[in-house]
Amino acid sequence: MMAEPLLAIEDLRTYFYSRSKRAFIRSVDGVSLAVAKGETLGIVGESGSGKSITAMSVMGLVSAGPGVISGRIGFRSDRVERQLLEGLDTCVALRREGGRVMAVEKDDDRWAGQVEKNMTGIRGREISMIFQNPKQSLNPFETVGRQITEAIMLHTSHKIEQEAKEKAIEWLDRVKIDSPRLRFDNHPFGLSGGMCQRAMIAMALSCEPHLLIADEPTTGLDATIQSKIVDLLAELKSELGITTMLISHDIGIIGRLSDTVAVMYGGTVVESGPAKDVLSCSPEGKHPYTAALLASIPSSDAVREKGHLQAIEGDVLDTINIPAGCRFYGRCSRVTDKIREKCDKQEPDLREIASGRRVRCWLYFE
Amino acid sequence: MKLTAIRPVGIVLVRELSLTMLLLLGVSALVFLILYLSPGDPFSVLLEGQSLSEEARSGIRQAMGIERSWYGQYFHWVSGMVRGDFGASVRTGLPVLSEVLRTGINTLILTLGSLLVTLLIAAPIAIRSAMRGMSKATWSFTILSYVISALPVFWLGYIVIYFFTHKLGLFPLAFGFATGAKKWLYLLLPIFVLGIGNGTISEVIRTLREEMGRVMEEDYIRTARAKGASVWKHAFKEGFLIPVTEIIAAKIPFILGGAVIVEQVFNWPGMGRMAWQAAQDRDYPVIMGIAIVAAVLVRLGSLFQSVVYVMVNPRASKE
Ligand SMILES: Nc1ncnc2c1ncn2[C@@H]1O[C@H](COP(=O)(O)OP(=O)(O)O)[C@@H](O)[C@H]1O
Ligand code: SF4
Ligand SMILES: [Mg+2]
Repeated sequence: MMAEPLLAIEDLRTYFYSRSKRAFIRSVDGVSLAVAKGETLGIVGESGSGKSITAMSVMGLVSAGPGVISGRIGFRSDRVERQLLEGLDTCVALRREGGRVMAVEKDDDRWAGQVEKNMTGIRGREISMIFQNPKQSLNPFETVGRQITEAIMLHTSHKIEQEAKEKAIEWLDRVKIDSPRLRFDNHPFGLSGGMCQRAMIAMALSCEPHLLIADEPTTGLDATIQSKIVDLLAELKSELGITTMLISHDIGIIGRLSDTVAVMYGGTVVESGPAKDVLSCSPEGKHPYTAALLASIPSSDAVREKGHLQAIEGDVLDTINIPAGCRFYGRCSRVTDKIREKCDKQEPDLREIASGRRVRCWLYFE
Repeated sequence: MKLTAIRPVGIVLVRELSLTMLLLLGVSALVFLILYLSPGDPFSVLLEGQSLSEEARSGIRQAMGIERSWYGQYFHWVSGMVRGDFGASVRTGLPVLSEVLRTGINTLILTLGSLLVTLLIAAPIAIRSAMRGMSKATWSFTILSYVISALPVFWLGYIVIYFFTHKLGLFPLAFGFATGAKKWLYLLLPIFVLGIGNGTISEVIRTLREEMGRVMEEDYIRTARAKGASVWKHAFKEGFLIPVTEIIAAKIPFILGGAVIVEQVFNWPGMGRMAWQAAQDRDYPVIMGIAIVAAVLVRLGSLFQSVVYVMVNPRASKE
């Protein structure tokens, strides 16, 4: 039995309407996830599987023109309890013709207003987020220090600038930026990518949020920097015990930091459960996609031999023309004759196969 | 402001000023050449219809400096200009520089005022639609502004005058007649006509919306949203301040052109009307003086833009 979840996502569907194709790109297509207090949920999957859009939906960052969201996202801490998607459906009208969506009318203005309303007091204060591309994620026109100070003054009881500044420097020190007092006055362009990510982490944690969402926090950084950032996150995790939603395509990083893991494919969760079970070595007893992902981690020997990384064969799912059957069917190597018919025609649901373990695959439903 | 931030501004100032010097030299040479090659001279305009002896004519010519060769005239004029002496108007005999500066102030008021009007109308529409998406209100304002921007400024000016004088009987036709509230009306109407009719509203809306829209897609704006900070505050420098200064710098020449017309229509005692008159009179010193002052105004716009850019952009000031 899981502890009271801090964040509960139920049947989240985030679609982008493509005018030219007269159809929805179903980036997130029925995701249900829960993050329990104090735990780290790792979300892993190839790029394009809908991980970032899931996180952006939680943060109310899917405001771009064609984005449409449905489902429920409940957030509940000791300070607030809120439905984060409240009222968004009333801002969108669909015009259908013969089952096909011909037009989406979205009142962007009202949508933006509703998102603001849902997210005030949440963003930065209850939930913080860090991103891929730390350098671009910091405002290039402001010093790093002032950006952190701003967050502290917005969300904590430190309302006096000098006081907030001292706090910011403390946090810069805490994320292991050396000479934090000097770095405080640096603009992002004067810092390396790794330092910028440290500053982003400092900014995100400085308001002592209940939930941290880290979307590909190490992607794009040099390998050595990557492992240092992972070390830092691990250290902060044990120090602060902050609830975290960690997103990465890198199953190694997910394995190091997560308590629970959800594997995403084609906009859905195909497997979830305790990290040690999901990521254990034997390919049996896990979803074929998870097994393939694990197999694609190059051992250093393999890389040396082949000189390249082995990815999973086949292409990432086309999220417009989703097949009727299992989304992984076209790439799956474990289909047996017994279930072939089902794999092809009918989508499996996400079923509990053991305590806390859920898999979306016909192999396990016999 | 920190000392480190002043140095780059100084560099920009020096660069802009030397550019301006070169430009002024070029402008003066070009204007001079055009005047020299165009038929007629101030002398013949001045003496039109009068019969004078050949002796008297050459005497006047000599006094006016027209006897010299063209390059002689040019260098005479440039060397005067360097000393701050732009010569005297052929028509009125008044010193050109003080006359042009006196009318130049009026033109500056008209130009900057109309720019302000343009921005006050265009910016809210552009910013709102870039930040919140197009709503019915922003759509209608945008379309309306495009229609208005297509109206020629002289036509708009006459319509306004017709309406105020003939329908409302409000409008004095010559500057300085009115007192009190009417005086303000006289001041504001031309500014509004030029601000609305100079054709830049739709352009400013488009440019600002594009720039702000681009900035809205930037990662750091997403961060601002995610941390619950004001998006406008974070987008202000790149999405508003820099593009607005660019627009101002780029639009000043066009608005000066529009000012010539508005000053004619509204009898506004500015540099544009003076230029018009001087062109009719072939009043070379005045034309040259106005060309120089107008060029300086244009350069000031670009100087303003560069200074703002270095002050705002930490990166530019490090380079
Ligand atoms: N604004 C958008 N418009 C249309 N499609 C989008 C948009 N944003 C993301 N997508 C699509 O949604 C899918 C999932 O994207 P994302 O969540 O970023 O994947 P990832 O798992 O790599 O983070 C991708 O196929 C992407 O092309
Ligand atoms: S349902 Fe069938 S196709 Fe899908 S993963 Fe399982 S075995 Fe493979
Ligand atoms: Mg992503």
